[in-house]
Amino acid sequence: MKRPTRILAASAAAAAIALIAAGCSAGDGGDSGGDITLTFWGSYGNGGNSAQQDVLESTLIPAFEKAHPGVHVEYLDVPYDDLLQKLTTSAAGDELPDLVRADLGWVPRFADLGVLVPLSKEMDDFQELADATYPGVLATNLWKGEYYGLPLDTNTRVLISNPAALQATGRTEPPATFADFQKMASELSGTGITLFADGGLGAWNLMPWIWSGGGDITDADVTKSSGYLDSAANVKTLQMLVDLYKAGQIGNGIVGNEGAVSTSEGLPGGNYATILDGPWMTGIWAGQFPDFAPVYSPVPAGDGGSISVVGGEDIVLTASSKHQKEAMEFIRFTQSEEFQLALVPTGQLSVITALGEKQVALDPKLEIFTKQLETARNRLAIPNASEVDTILNTELVPAFEGTISAKEALANAAEKIDELLAS
Amino acid sequence: MTAVRPARSARRIAGIGAGTLRHVVLLAGAGLMIAPFLYMIAISFTPNSYVLTTPPQFIPENPTLDNYAQALDAQDIPRYFLNSLLVAVVSTVLSVLLSSMMAYAFARFRFPGREVIFRILLVGLMIPAVMLLIPQFVLAKHLGLLDSLGGLVVFYVAGSLALNTFLLRGFLEQTPAELDEAMQMDGANAWTRYWRLALPLAKPGLATATIFTFLACWDEFAWALTIINDPDSRTLPVAIRLLAGQGNNAVQWGVVFAASVMAVVPVIVVFLVFQRYFVQGLVSGAVKG
Repeated sequence: MKRPTRILAASAAAAAIALIAAGCSAGDGGDSGGDITLTFWGSYGNGGNSAQQDVLESTLIPAFEKAHPGVHVEYLDVPYDDLLQKLTTSAAGDELPDLVRADLGWVPRFADLGVLVPLSKEMDDFQELADATYPGVLATNLWKGEYYGLPLDTNTRVLISNPAALQATGRTEPPATFADFQKMASELSGTGITLFADGGLGAWNLMPWIWSGGGDITDADVTKSSGYLDSAANVKTLQMLVDLYKAGQIGNGIVGNEGAVSTSEGLPGGNYATILDGPWMTGIWAGQFPDFAPVYSPVPAGDGGSISVVGGEDIVLTASSKHQKEAMEFIRFTQSEEFQLALVPTGQLSVITALGEKQVALDPKLEIFTKQLETARNRLAIPNASEVDTILNTELVPAFEGTISAKEALANAAEKIDELLAS
Repeated sequence: MTAVRPARSARRIAGIGAGTLRHVVLLAGAGLMIAPFLYMIAISFTPNSYVLTTPPQFIPENPTLDNYAQALDAQDIPRYFLNSLLVAVVSTVLSVLLSSMMAYAFARFRFPGREVIFRILLVGLMIPAVMLLIPQFVLAKHLGLLDSLGGLVVFYVAGSLALNTFLLRGFLEQTPAELDEAMQMDGANAWTRYWRLALPLAKPGLATATIFTFLACWDEFAWALTIINDPDSRTLPVAIRLLAGQGNNAVQWGVVFAASVMAVVPVIVVFLVFQRYFVQGLVSGAVKG
C-alpha cells in the first residue's frame, strides 16, 4: 500500500487512541473544591431562537449562583423531539441530570418509572409553592397521589381570528359562543373562506371543544372513559364539528389530511377565518407575515363555559441526583417573580396566578391567554397519554367521513381508552 | 437494396424515439432527485421572512448571505463540522482497516468454526441500532466513554464492522487464490500478502465500504445525541436538529438549510473521490456475497 495510505491509517489510529484517552480521563468533573454543579436539561434554546436560553444562562442562572455561593448550574439544551429518548436512555443507564424541564405530558411517565423525586413529599414548602400556581398547570405533575414536579412555564390555546374574515361577515368581534360560531359559518358561505381549521383530533386539538361543551374524556379518577367520552354533551359537540366539516366550514387538516394548508399559513393567508393556537404564533407571524394583525379571543363558550387546554413544561428533580437539597433550592428559584417574569418577553407564560397582571403589563398581547389559563384544564395525566391522541385521531375520523355516527365514534374511542386505562 | 433502406430509416427513427424517451425519463428522474437539493440551496439564500412561501421559490427574490453568516458565527457550526469530520474520518479509516483484515482472514484462512464465527458476525447486521441504544449506553458508561468523541468512534467502528467485513469478504474471495499462493511460495507472510496483494486488488470494495461507513458516521444522530452532553463535543446532525427545534417555536429555516448545505459538502466530496470505484464495487459485491 502506498505511503500516504499508511500515514493516514497510522494517524487515524493515533487520533482514535487520543480521543478514547480523553474520554476516559474526562470523568464526572465539576465538583472540585467543595463546589457542586447541578445539571439541568431542557429545550429552551431550540429553533435557533436563543432568546430564552440567553435569559436563562446570562441572567437567571448567574443570579441564582450569586445567591447560592458554591452552587453552579450547568444547563444543557437538547432537541425537544429527542429529549424524551435521551432521558429514557439516561434513566436506564442511571445518568440522568439533577433537574429536567420536562414536557408536562412526560411527568407521569417518568414518575411511573420511579426516576423522579415526589416533591410534595420531600419539599417542606411544597404546598405553599403549589398553591401559587394555576390549578390546571399544577395538575400535570400529579401521579398516584403525589406531585412529582412544579410548573415551570405554561401556555394555552385561544381562538385566533383573521380580521379580514370577521369583516367579510360584518362582525367586529370574534364568535364568543358555540351558537355564534355556527352562525358565523353560514355568514361565511360564498366568501371562499373556511370558518375553522386545526391540525388533527388529538387531545390538544379536541379537548377545548369537549370541555367547553360541558363534557369530559373520563371520570374524575381517570378510571373509565365509556359513559363519559360518549356522553350526550360530547355527542352534541362532536356533531357540531362534523356538521361544520360536512358543510365545508372546517378544513380537512382536522381529519389528518397532510396536504391541507397549515393553520399557521392559512389564517394569515385568508384561507381560514379562525384557528385555536398558542402565544408563540405572534412571533412566527411577525417574521413571516409582518402585516397580519390577528384578533385574539377566548375559546367559544358552550354549555360548559369557555375552557381551553393547558400546555407547557414542568421542572422535575431526579431520584439519582446527588445534590437534592441544592436542586430544590433551584426549583424554588424557578417559582420566583424574578425567574417567571424574566421569561415573559421571550414568549413564556408565567405559571404563578398572582403574576397575571404584571405579565399582561409586560406584554399586552398575553391578556387573553392569561385569562384563558384561569380555567384551562390538563389532558389525561397518564404514562401513555400519547396513545390517547392516537385513539382520538383514528376513531373519530369515520364520523367526519360520515360512515358512522358521532355517538358510535365516541363510543369506539371510549372503549379503546378504557382498555388503555385498564392496562 | 431498395427494400432495406426504408426499414433501416424506420429503425433509425425508432432508435431516435427510444433515445429521446430514455432521455426524457432520465431527466425527469434526475429533476425529481435534485429538486429538494435545489430548494435547500435556494432557501439557504432566502431571508427568513420569505421562506416556505407557496408556491416554492427556487430562485430567491432578495438573495442574502445572512443565513450562512449566522450559521458560521452565532451557531458555532464550524466547530460541530470539525467534530463530525474528525469522528467520521477516524471511524471510517479504523473500520475499513479492521474489517478488511477480518475479511481477509475469512476469505483466505481455513480454521475451525470459520463459518460459524462469520454468521455470528452477520447477526450484528440484523439487530436494529435503536434496540442496542440502552445496552450500548450502559456499556459506554462502564468504559468511561460517555460524553466524548472517542465514545462515538468506538461504537461507530463496532457498528460498521459487520457490514464491511461481509462486503469485503466477497471481494477478497473473488481475487485469484493463485496469486496469493504464488506470493506465499516466494516467502511472503500473511501480512505482506494482505497489505501488498489483497488490499490493492480489493480497491472497489474498499471504496464502497469507505463511502458507506463515512456516510453512516457523518449522518449518525441517535447515538451522538444520547451520549454527548458537552456542547463543544456536539456533532453536526445534533447541532442542525437543535436549530430546527420544535414545532412551537419560529424556526429559522434559512439558517437550518444553510447549515444543511454545508453538511452535504463532505458527502459530495467523498462520493466524487471514490465514485470511480464505487459503481464497480456495487456490481461485483452484488454478484458474489
